[in-house]
Amino acid sequence: MEAEEIHDWLRANLFDAVPMAIGVISRDFRVVEANRRFEQTYGPWKGRPCHEVYKGRKERCAHCAAVETFADGRIRIREEEGIVRKGSQSHYLVHMVPIVRPGDEIRYVIEMSTDITLVKQLEREKREAERLAAVGETVAGIAHGIKNVLMGLEGGMYAVNTGIAQGDDERIARGWAMLEENVTRISQFVKEFLDFAKGRVAHARLIDPNEPVRKVVQMFAEQAARAGIRLEVDLQEGIAPAPLDEEGIHTCLANLVSNAIDACLLSEQRRNFVVTVSTRERDGVLVYEVVDNGQGMDYEISKQVFSKFFTTKGSDRGTGLGLLTTKKIVHQHGGRISFASKPGQGSSFRIELPRADLPCPDRAPAEQRRTEPNP
Amino acid sequence: MSTSQQAKKILIVDDEPSVVSYLEMLFCDNGYQTISAADGKEALELMRREKPDLVTLDISMPEASGTRFYKEVKTDPQLASIPVVIITAVTGYGGDPYAYQKFISHRRIVPPPEGFFPKPIQREELLEAIRKLLD
Repeated sequence: MEAEEIHDWLRANLFDAVPMAIGVISRDFRVVEANRRFEQTYGPWKGRPCHEVYKGRKERCAHCAAVETFADGRIRIREEEGIVRKGSQSHYLVHMVPIVRPGDEIRYVIEMSTDITLVKQLEREKREAERLAAVGETVAGIAHGIKNVLMGLEGGMYAVNTGIAQGDDERIARGWAMLEENVTRISQFVKEFLDFAKGRVAHARLIDPNEPVRKVVQMFAEQAARAGIRLEVDLQEGIAPAPLDEEGIHTCLANLVSNAIDACLLSEQRRNFVVTVSTRERDGVLVYEVVDNGQGMDYEISKQVFSKFFTTKGSDRGTGLGLLTTKKIVHQHGGRISFASKPGQGSSFRIELPRADLPCPDRAPAEQRRTEPNP
Repeated sequence: MSTSQQAKKILIVDDEPSVVSYLEMLFCDNGYQTISAADGKEALELMRREKPDLVTLDISMPEASGTRFYKEVKTDPQLASIPVVIITAVTGYGGDPYAYQKFISHRRIVPPPEGFFPKPIQREELLEAIRKLLD
C-alpha cells in the first residue's frame, strides 16, 4: 500500500511534472510508457513505434541510438530533430538510459528529451548576425578609403576648374598634382581590395611553418634597417610541416610586420625599437607572434571614452584592409588572431592555428584524377 | 569684407593633404582665412594659440584622433563655444555615412557637433552651413 502511494506520488509530482518528455521504449521499439509532457509534445503514443511517434516515419531510423544502447547498455546523449504534434520541426536533446536488472538483458530504454528548438534558433540567428556584422565591417572599411580618395579627386577638379577660370597656372598645377596623387591611391586601393575580395580559398600545401617568416623578414629587412628598427626572428626549430596556404600566411605576417614598423615610426618617444617575429608549437597549436615596442594603441582610452569601431590610423598609411584581410586568412585556416597593446609601450599580435582545424592539403593532381568517378 | 582683419578664421583639421588643400582653396575663395593641422594634438595647440572662429574636423587621424580632440575642445570652457563641423569618411556598419553623427550626438559628456558632413562633401551645403554658423 505504501509502495503504491509512493509510486503515485512520484508519477504525479516527478514523472509528469518535469519539464522534459520521457518515454520508455521496449526492445521491439514501441513506446510502452510516457509522461504527460511526452504526450503533449508528440501526441498519442500507446504501443506505437517510436520512429513513428518522434519522427512520423514508417521504418526504423538509420542511426538509431536506442539500438546501440540496447546492445551495449551505455548511456547516450544526442541531438535529434523530430516532429511535434503541431506538425512543426523541433530540435531536442535526448538522454538514453537503459533499464536493466542485474543478470538480465536490457528490456527497456528510457528516453528523456529536452526541447532545444529555441536554443538552436538563437544559435542560427547569432551566426547570421555575426556574418552580417563582418559584411558591415568590410563595407565600412572600404567606404572609408574610397570616400577619402573621392574627396581628394573632387578637390583636384575644383582646383583645376577654378584655376582655369581665374587663369591661375599655379592653382592648375596644384590641382593636377592632387588628381595624380589620388588616382595613384585608388589604383593601390583597388589592388588591395581585389586581394581581399578574391575570397581566396586557402591553397594549403604541407610546408615548414617557419618558411613564410623567413621570407617576410627578408622582405622587410632593408626597410626596417633604414628606419633604425631591429627586426628579430625567434623560430622554434623542428616544427613539423603543416598544411598552410603559404601565400596567405605570408600576407598575414607581412601585414603584421608592416603595422609593427609603422607603430615604431609613429612612436613619440625615441628608443631602441625592436620588432620580433616568433614561432612556437604548443599542444598542437601553431603560434605566430609579432611583437613591437612602438607607440602601442590607445585602446583603453578609446574604449572608455568613445566607441571601439572607429579606426584612428591615418589614411595615408594603407587602406585599413590589412588587418581585415589577415583576420580572414587566419579564419580560413581555422585559427584565431588576438592582440595586446599598451599605449607608449608597444603591441603584440598573435595568430594561433590549431593543427586539428587546419585545411586539408591540396591533393596532387594524379591522386585527384584517381578519385574522380569515371564518366 | 575680405581684408584680413575682418575675415573669419577657419581651422582645418585633416591628415589628408589633398583634403586640406581642397578646403583651403574653397574657404579662401569664399573670403575666409585658414590655418590647418594634420592631427588632433597639433590642432589643439593651434586652437589655444590662434582662437579660430570655426573648426572643420576629420575623425580618423594618427596620433590623437578627431574623437579625442572633439572631447577636449567641448569640455574646455575656453574653447567649447567655437563651432565644430565634422567632415569625415567614417562609415558605420553596412555603409551608413551618418553613423558617426548619431554616435557623437548621443554622448553624455559632449554636446552634438554644430555641423556634420560625410566625405565627399556637398560644396554648397557646407559653405551655407559655415556661413550660418559664422554670421
